[in-house]
Amino acid sequence: MLPHRYRWLLLLLASYFFYGFWKVEYLSLIVFSTVVDFYVARYLNQSDVQARRRLALSFSLFSNLGLLFFFKYSNWFMNDVLHPISFISDGNLHFWNSNWNFLLPVGISFYTFQTISYTIDVYYRRITPETNPFKFALFVSFFPQLVAGPIERFSHLNHQLFKRVDFDYANIQNGARLMLYGLFIKMCVADNIAPIVDQIFDSQDEASTQQLWAGMGLFGIQIYSDFHGYSLIAIGAARMLGIKLMDNFNAPYASLSIREFWTRWHISLSSWFRDYLFIPLGGSRVNWLRFGVNILIVFILSGLWHGANWTFIMWGAIHGFYYLIERWTGFSSMKSNAMKPIQWITTMLVVFIAWVFFRSPDIASGLDYISGLLYFHKGSLLLDWNVLLISFIGLFMLSDLAFSNGKISDWLDSKSFVSRWIVYALMIYSIMAFSGTVNHPFIYFQF
Amino acid sequence: MKIATRILVLAMLLPALNWLYVHTSYKSYLFEEADQLLQVEKVANCDVVYTSASSNFSPDPWHESHKKISEFIGESNPELLIEAFNIPASHARIHTILLRRIPPSSSIRTVIATVNLRSFGADWQNSILETPLNKKNVMYADRPPLLNRFLVSLNFYDNKSDLERENIKLDLWAQTTLPLERVKSNVIDWCAEEKWGDWTNPKRQLADQFIKQYAFVLDESNATVHEFDAMIEICKERNWKLIMHILPENIEKADSLVGSDLTDLMVQNATWLERRFIGKGATVINNVDLLPSSCFTDKDFPTEHYNEVGRRSIASSFSNKLKTD
Repeated sequence: MLPHRYRWLLLLLASYFFYGFWKVEYLSLIVFSTVVDFYVARYLNQSDVQARRRLALSFSLFSNLGLLFFFKYSNWFMNDVLHPISFISDGNLHFWNSNWNFLLPVGISFYTFQTISYTIDVYYRRITPETNPFKFALFVSFFPQLVAGPIERFSHLNHQLFKRVDFDYANIQNGARLMLYGLFIKMCVADNIAPIVDQIFDSQDEASTQQLWAGMGLFGIQIYSDFHGYSLIAIGAARMLGIKLMDNFNAPYASLSIREFWTRWHISLSSWFRDYLFIPLGGSRVNWLRFGVNILIVFILSGLWHGANWTFIMWGAIHGFYYLIERWTGFSSMKSNAMKPIQWITTMLVVFIAWVFFRSPDIASGLDYISGLLYFHKGSLLLDWNVLLISFIGLFMLSDLAFSNGKISDWLDSKSFVSRWIVYALMIYSIMAFSGTVNHPFIYFQF
Repeated sequence: MKIATRILVLAMLLPALNWLYVHTSYKSYLFEEADQLLQVEKVANCDVVYTSASSNFSPDPWHESHKKISEFIGESNPELLIEAFNIPASHARIHTILLRRIPPSSSIRTVIATVNLRSFGADWQNSILETPLNKKNVMYADRPPLLNRFLVSLNFYDNKSDLERENIKLDLWAQTTLPLERVKSNVIDWCAEEKWGDWTNPKRQLADQFIKQYAFVLDESNATVHEFDAMIEICKERNWKLIMHILPENIEKADSLVGSDLTDLMVQNATWLERRFIGKGATVINNVDLLPSSCFTDKDFPTEHYNEVGRRSIASSFSNKLKTD
């Protein structure tokens, strides 16, 4: 109904309203990032003096990462990293300590990385910067992917935001299907698993060996269905507006190696680290030692990106080390069919063991959990399993292998009207009648 | 046209799914998660509904008798069939929602509403039990059950965290001025007075709890007062007689631990409630100072949990006052 040339303004207002609705004060952060990167990018585009351009880029990186560091890592850095280092002042021994009490701005890791990629792309003259600050503000704040990604690139998203989009039934249909499926896996799978996972991880001393293994497996499914569900809802909402966001997952648990896993899991983040950290560090065109160091830097930082805790660093480090083992032993390159089951089992073991640290409150708890997996013992935990939950999990894992990404839409297209609506009805009914009732916000909102 | 067809299909599908839900999973969900709605069926065919939190019965399994106050009242009034909503930690808002769900064809003539003085204070109003109670309330709303179930999943209720509720409570205690000359200006300061002695002393800890539970001055802005107003309205609409029963509080213990500053407040608040609700057309029985301390079963926290002697006395006093009215 709104004339085409004003539609993006409505989207911008909607996006700011969406973010401000959560905490209006934190709108200032997103405005700050937007203003800094808009003007830095324009300067980078105009200037030919390399030293000044480098300085401008550093200013942008410092501003964005500084904000991120302050809100996300400062308490942890002071209390966990610096605290063991004492210092003497006024003749007394002091310890670093911090207890700043503020709420982590939701989505700050996502939009910070999105704006950083924009500035770096302008710096390397891969893109021409946006000339309208409000249009750039929409690129930074586009609401479907603002709080938990996918982390978009300017070259992929920007032209879509401002192109003329006429009403297209296929967009509405495909978007609605993705949102429905996303809601199904978040509400029926992730939210029903969550209380069981919480129970096992919170009382791991009382859990039996089998329950610990189940808890580890279930958390892997929970985090996947939770995050994948959100991504599908975001992609579906954008699709309804005629905008195609990048895919974020592609059946990661079918991976035969860690390298493959990272081409299928949180694709927008892994490709960001590849393009803006790994390649600038030298990529794979360096000697084996430097390559190993680069890989560990990338994986540890991608772990740290998730949160200010040693457990995330451990999670990243496990992936990094195993990546190097695969690479240096040539284990992942063995192509014979007989090796595939072994490759799959080993990869999944590493991925799921790493999830234990991701879920644990600290490294010691994670190590305790892992040691509990290794010897047989009985437990006293009573878990609330039911057939419905197992069916949902089975259905999700099967459908994930069968129709990764948007392929569920293609599959539905091949069915008759009645068959399609039977599938919709079953999904709607499951969401309305059987979704989890414990309050579990999207896990990735906290990152 | 395509979209209109889909909207039409969806419009037909949703009532069908609701029908399916009502005839398959609904009852078992209520039984597990929100069983008070099932009590509505039980009370619909009685003469008197007795709404209460845990005060109606002895909540601890090791107490000598489990006979409820409502049952003692029933024994004194054998001509009446009395049934109770027994919902631990509940309050007027929940009882009103459930009363609304009683079918118009019901034979109910009288509603007895128990009034816990503590339920008007910041501690009860911001209790961590509120979130689970609010979650159950969604299922009690007069909407299609499938929609209610969906709204529970969407956390369509006041689901503040324990920490948020604790902070609200602390703010209220710190910011609400008490109009008392002899005591400190607010609950926090009053609790912090040195005269109570050492914090490790159990008596001091109990005194602290008594102040936190009862140190407030009722006025028209109190949220629980409005909840009872809503109950009065529904009773008027349904032509039910409403008897509001202000329950006994452990005034003797409050006096021995804190003194008359607090007990005066308690009695003053009970009297304010009595006058106010009589003014609104309800019958009010004020038993706030009925029982000695020995009748209260909880010794480390102020509650309205009574032993059998206490429950019998309450029922007897209630019945006598009813008969003299």
